[in-house]
Amino acid sequence: MELAIGIILGCCALGAGICMGIGAIGPGIGEGNAVSKACEAIGRQPESKSAVTSTMIMGCAISETTGIYSLVVAILLIFVAPGLMVNILKEAINLL
Amino acid sequence: MIKPDKTVIKETIYVSLSVIILSIIMQSVFIIISRWNYKVLLGNILTDAIMIANFFFMALSVQKAVSTGDEKEAKKIMKLSQTFRTLFMFILLLIGAALPYFSTIAVVIPVFFPRIAIAFRGLKKDNTEQTEVLTENEPE
Repeated sequence: MELAIGIILGCCALGAGICMGIGAIGPGIGEGNAVSKACEAIGRQPESKSAVTSTMIMGCAISETTGIYSLVVAILLIFVAPGLMVNILKEAINLL
Repeated sequence: MIKPDKTVIKETIYVSLSVIILSIIMQSVFIIISRWNYKVLLGNILTDAIMIANFFFMALSVQKAVSTGDEKEAKKIMKLSQTFRTLFMFILLLIGAALPYFSTIAVVIPVFFPRIAIAFRGLKKDNTEQTEVLTENEPE
């Protein structure tokens, strides 16, 4: 029983770490590329700086959403999933 | 500290107002389903503050990156800013979820509010553009 609970807790912690680590890579690269292209665009047309900045801010907020989703999943894996899994395990053992 | 641009302030105000409105709606839903207590309110306030601060710092880093003019430097600034903001958000949300003074559901749900606000803005803009096109195409 203790071993099973330990495995569940370990897997949840490992899952949260992997989720956060991989989930944060994409938005970082995406935002970096988008802003570098925005710099290029402003270099070509300096008068469009305000419009480009406004679009960039909204675009970055959208691209960051995937990172935030992974953050939420990680938090749920740390705080909610272990309790649920342990309860399911206990119920399964009681049924047997 | 870099001085915020007009665009940054405008967008931050828009997102802040939207987040506050959505939070009021969320609180109302909690009251209606009889699940409201002070923990829900505190959790909501904490996450709202985190998300608005995150958006503001992201807008500031975009402004800084765009004003540098150098593509590689802009990329570096954004990547660094994203890493720090995510870390900062993760720590604060962990505190919110771990401490007994905050409701975990009320901490997690408002994380999506800025995205919802931006989606609504996109819809609103599309509708305005469609109306303009229809008005232009109307025969006189």
